[in-house]
Amino acid sequence: MRVLLIEDDVRLGEAVRDQVAADGHATDWVQTLDEARSGVRAAAYDLLLLDLMLPDGSGLAFLSELRRGGDATPVIVLTARDQVSERIAGLQAGADDYLVKPFSLQELSARIGSVSRRYGGNPNPIVRVGAIEADLAARAVYRGGKRVDLTGREWSLLEALVRRPTAILSKAQLEERLYAFGDEVESNTIEAHVSRLRKKLGHAAVQTVRGVGYRLGSG
Amino acid sequence: MRWPRSLQSRLGVGVALTVGLTWLVATLCAAVVIRHELDEAYDSALQETAQRLLPLAVLDITDRDAAAGARQVSRFARHEEFMSYVVRSPEGEVLLRSHDADPSVFPRTPQLGFHSTGTHRIYGEGAVSGRVVIEIAEQMAHRREAVLEAAVALLVPLGLLLPLTLAGAWWLVRASLRPLRAFRAEMEARGAGNLAPLPLDGLPRETLAIGTAANRLIERLRQALEAERSFTANSAHELRTPVAAALAQTQRLIAELRDEVALRRARQVENSLLELARLCEKLLQLSRAEGGGVLAETPQRFGPVLAHVAHDVRRMHPYAGGLRLSVPEAETHGSRMDPDAFGILARNLIENALRHGDGRRPVDVVLTPSGVLRVINSGPVVDENTLATVLRRFQRGGSAADGAGLGLAIAERIASGAGARLTVRSPAAGRDDGFEAVLDLAPTGPRSLAG
Repeated sequence: MRVLLIEDDVRLGEAVRDQVAADGHATDWVQTLDEARSGVRAAAYDLLLLDLMLPDGSGLAFLSELRRGGDATPVIVLTARDQVSERIAGLQAGADDYLVKPFSLQELSARIGSVSRRYGGNPNPIVRVGAIEADLAARAVYRGGKRVDLTGREWSLLEALVRRPTAILSKAQLEERLYAFGDEVESNTIEAHVSRLRKKLGHAAVQTVRGVGYRLGSG
Repeated sequence: MRWPRSLQSRLGVGVALTVGLTWLVATLCAAVVIRHELDEAYDSALQETAQRLLPLAVLDITDRDAAAGARQVSRFARHEEFMSYVVRSPEGEVLLRSHDADPSVFPRTPQLGFHSTGTHRIYGEGAVSGRVVIEIAEQMAHRREAVLEAAVALLVPLGLLLPLTLAGAWWLVRASLRPLRAFRAEMEARGAGNLAPLPLDGLPRETLAIGTAANRLIERLRQALEAERSFTANSAHELRTPVAAALAQTQRLIAELRDEVALRRARQVENSLLELARLCEKLLQLSRAEGGGVLAETPQRFGPVLAHVAHDVRRMHPYAGGLRLSVPEAETHGSRMDPDAFGILARNLIENALRHGDGRRPVDVVLTPSGVLRVINSGPVVDENTLATVLRRFQRGGSAADGAGLGLAIAERIASGAGARLTVRSPAAGRDDGFEAVLDLAPTGPRSLAG
């Protein structure tokens, strides 16, 4: 997934960005609403992590602005205010979930998984395709009942394919999900990840649709 | 007699009494003047009568046989007679007298001019070089009756006027005080949390200043409360963000460390930070509970807030026994507790029940339409001595469970600050074990939510 983190506190932002990236998501981190506006115009994000108190305005107003403009990107609010009324206001403004600071990074990862599953149209975290079984909540994959260890990027690539098992995803779409702005992406990076996935899950796990992209195979 | 406390009664009675007394004094003055004028008129008539009768009496006496003695004028048609007269010699010998004249009324010897006895006004006039004197006496009672009748004629209208004045003054004062009564009713009807300005329309100029001053005071209070709320919220933000950053950095460190010793230390730091975060949260809640921000300006409904809190608690504190929630569709209690304060209160009660419940049986959370929230958990019976202290700060009820011992104290502070009542009992009602916290949001009875 490609995630936009909007958080003005440097130490917190850094740790959250590293956690989300370690989970295999491409993460862009901005510290102001202005940068966030530019970000959502420039790229298609799968998830926004939004702080509510930002130096140039209210995150809630930004969220309302997005929803009024028809942007349905999932949003998880990160707030240091614990009032129930503010949480309800956030959910009513279009937030999908919220976390009150301080929060555990494991809890954040779980919430990101839960929201993205909900948006993927399949709230069930267990997806089976052929011999492959992916547990999206536990971020674990099994082949023939045996657990297979994947790197963050490999997991992210598999997750992108698993979430839309019948769709063909282009190389550019996969790059966007795996890499943030400013990341070094070499021309054959996706091919290299696909190749490693095939080695671990079987050649048929990922099918190449020549000239178009990749889709999930049967393993 | 006690002076009435009502301004309306005071003005009504005061105006009526003033009018009545003024009228009474005016009547007395008029009676004195009438008396004086009547005396003048009656005296003049007495004198005229004496002067007119005297020549006739002299003629009558001189034409008469001297030996014939005193003559009494015969009586004519019967009528009310107020005057009698005698004609006497200077020595007091009666020469002529009217038919009803009583000699004892007159002095022993004739006196000229006016003089009065206790019962009569007498005028004497002499003729024939003072050898014949006529004295006319008029009953004083007649004069007094005339003055009395005049005074009564003036006083009778007062009897009618007094109740009319009282009623008129009452009505006028009542009509004039109508805006003041509306102002008072508005102040009485609003709850302690309603800090909207009072309507001053139609208030008389004399009381407008009071209304304006009250509104100024309300506005200052509202600003102070707003500042306090804002300070609490900002403090929460300022405190939580660095703790969140420290915790997140520590958790990242744990994820990246490979050295076991360093990892163990990092986990200790993480646990300390989690403990610090919990304590910070409780202290922020306590500061909120002890501030003025536990009241909202209008009556609130708490079902949605309770559902939200329960959803949140279920997610954050997985509990094997489960959490059973029951919220009403409509609420009639009219409590003005601030929804965020209620959220804090409910969360503390539920977390307390989850923490101390036996874990195998569900925690029940029930809100009734009349505003009674019950949070019930299973578990051993809590003894009376412990029950008496659990609502105090840093009291953990002898439990070995985690917690700062602040949750129930926070809930109790919020409840009392918002005019609600929190009680605890063990065993829970209808059971032989467990613990029950009962929050009555409207202990003085329900009010309309529209108020």
